[in-house]
Amino acid sequence: MSDDAVDVGEYEDVWVFVEEHGGEVMPVSWELLAEAAKLTETTGDDLVALAIGEGLETVADEALARGADRVLVADDPVFEPYRADPYGEQFRAMVEERKPSIVLIGGTHTGRDFAGRVAVPAHAGLTADVTELDVDDEGILQARRPAFGGDVLATILCEEHRPQMATIRPGVFEAAAPDPERVADGDVVSVDVVVDEADAISEVLEREVGDTADITEAERIVAVGRGVEGDLEPARRLAEALDAELAASRAAVDEGWVDGARQVGQTGKTVRPDLYVAVGISGAIQHVEGMNKSGTVVAINDDPNAPIFEHADYGIVGDLFEVCPALADRLEGEPIQEVTG
Amino acid sequence: MTWTIAVGVKQVPDADEVGIDPDTGRLDRASAPAVMNGPDRHALEAALTIRDQVGGEVIAMTMGPPNATSVLEEAVAMGSDDAVLISDRAFAGSDTWPTSLTLARAAEALEADVVVCGEETTDSSTGQVPPGIAAHNGWAQLTYAEAVDARPEEGRLAARRDVEGGYELVAAELPVVVAVAFGEFDPRPAPLHRKIYGENDFEPTVWDAEALGIEDEVGLDVSPTSVGRMETVDPVERKGEVVDEVDGLLEPIAEVRA
Ligand SMILES: Cc1cc2nc3c(=O)[nH]c(=O)nc-3n(C[C@H](O)[C@H](O)[C@H](O)COP(=O)(O)OP(=O)(O)OC[C@H]3O[C@@H](n4cnc5c(N)ncnc54)[C@H](O)[C@@H]3O)c2cc1C
Ligand SMILES: Nc1ncnc2c1ncn2[C@@H]1O[C@H](COP(=O)(O)O)[C@@H](O)[C@H]1O
Repeated sequence: MSDDAVDVGEYEDVWVFVEEHGGEVMPVSWELLAEAAKLTETTGDDLVALAIGEGLETVADEALARGADRVLVADDPVFEPYRADPYGEQFRAMVEERKPSIVLIGGTHTGRDFAGRVAVPAHAGLTADVTELDVDDEGILQARRPAFGGDVLATILCEEHRPQMATIRPGVFEAAAPDPERVADGDVVSVDVVVDEADAISEVLEREVGDTADITEAERIVAVGRGVEGDLEPARRLAEALDAELAASRAAVDEGWVDGARQVGQTGKTVRPDLYVAVGISGAIQHVEGMNKSGTVVAINDDPNAPIFEHADYGIVGDLFEVCPALADRLEGEPIQEVTG
Repeated sequence: MTWTIAVGVKQVPDADEVGIDPDTGRLDRASAPAVMNGPDRHALEAALTIRDQVGGEVIAMTMGPPNATSVLEEAVAMGSDDAVLISDRAFAGSDTWPTSLTLARAAEALEADVVVCGEETTDSSTGQVPPGIAAHNGWAQLTYAEAVDARPEEGRLAARRDVEGGYELVAAELPVVVAVAFGEFDPRPAPLHRKIYGENDFEPTVWDAEALGIEDEVGLDVSPTSVGRMETVDPVERKGEVVDEVDGLLEPIAEVRA
């Protein structure tokens, strides 16, 4: 046992970080709250939501409605917009004072940015990119994550240090519907703000938040890759014909053709639509990891050897600039009959 | 005023060359050739860009076994002025906590103004090391950086950060740790004379845990996390049917929508 190991018995409760920017909550926060409720059912701990920002009354109430027993709120202008140093400092102070056993954070850019600023000084265990969660009889978190390009699921444990922290991939868990009746039974606790603007070592000069689409709930998705070469029209039309959401590979996002909120994959979102149409996507493992829970997968690619065909139920080898419009024509021409009865 | 810019580069198994073990049918990573982590090439390019903006020195650093020297040679070929190999048996079993401590102490020893890292490694893919370095040293950090703007007159570095659904421009005081968004900063090709220098004449500085004063703070013992079970994931079964005409897709699509 190492010197810094702690008395794990002193630590209790499961915390979920509620990520909000300017009043808008990232959907992964509610996914985590629903999943964490299953953990607290096993451990008997309280489920605690934690929010950092400015003007958080509505967010706090929603966290109660979504399943939290208690909400800790650090409300101050210093936290808006988000910066790693004030967030990390505040979160760390709360962790060290209140000693949670488990802390779950959405694996968004923001969550992954500050989680280490809490875990390092607290000497906590921090597992990245978790896709499955469980807890054993002794309250040890079983944080599972894909390793070796997704061929292996590794269980990461943190036995002697606390808290047990994890960042969780967005879209893998289902959010629960809010129940407004829960709000009255919960507590909202306002915590001391320990950071001061004068100590900040970073400054946000500009911030532009555009598309914050949530593709994780979509029933049908048309996803574009580098193959579309900046021309989204064919895929857009197909998406419209299918009443589908537009998504993208990381390459298409990096090129600036599609907003990052719509990226599918290891460093994007996990989606599980009934229908996933991959247009001009090669099928790299990091992409496939985010879409292989989809129902039916259709691939359109002009390279017969593209790996995406191994991950598809139906494939068409052909030029997307011809296949997409042709398919859209057929879909528009023949409205699909709803099956009744 | 010029800046000292340290870059973290890691040696990883070449993801494109990982073969299947014929006996077990599993991925055989041990036989894959070791290469520089792809995202670290972008980090190097970002470091060279900062050097172009302010002047100074780029120093590549890696924590790894002695044969990780080859990634340092590559970094020197691409334009790093110098490189440090941080190597010690005591590092075995380190998770991201002691790894980032080690790199944090190395950055201090180099008197770095800026530490540039990649977004993630392709073998452990945590992305935790760069914020970990910043946290150990109490430095500022700029992750998911898409563009950098050195502002020596302000003693700050500004970066355009990719945030969900948009971007932000953030200025941070030095010293600062930058993690570059993968795919940004197209790596420049290494000129032939630098390649030859890197391979034949260049020798990295070598530090062990004691040189950094962290011999009791690394390895398995101080790592809060450990790996428990490893389960192979059964690949998702797909039909893999190739159709010749778009009409062949209408029925499966109709079924999904039903
Ligand atoms: C740490 C790390 C994390 C990553 N995370 C992600 C992630 O979350 N999501 C993700 O998607 N990727 C991720 N990647 C990147 C991934 O490895 C691939 O580089 C990326 O998915 C490739 O995108 P693509 O398929 O659009 O582009 P390419 O691989 O360039 O494929 C383009 C495809 O389009 C086809 N094509 C071209 N023209 C046409 C045409 N006219 N008609 C039909 N087909 C055409 C080509 O045959 C090709 O197959 C990550 C990589 C790393 C290292
Ligand atoms: N052993 C190492 N030596 C040098 N740099 C590293 C090492 N491990 C991680 N890094 C840096 O940290 C980044 C993120 O790595 P990781 O947190 O392991 O995903 C990498 O892209 C490197 O720039």
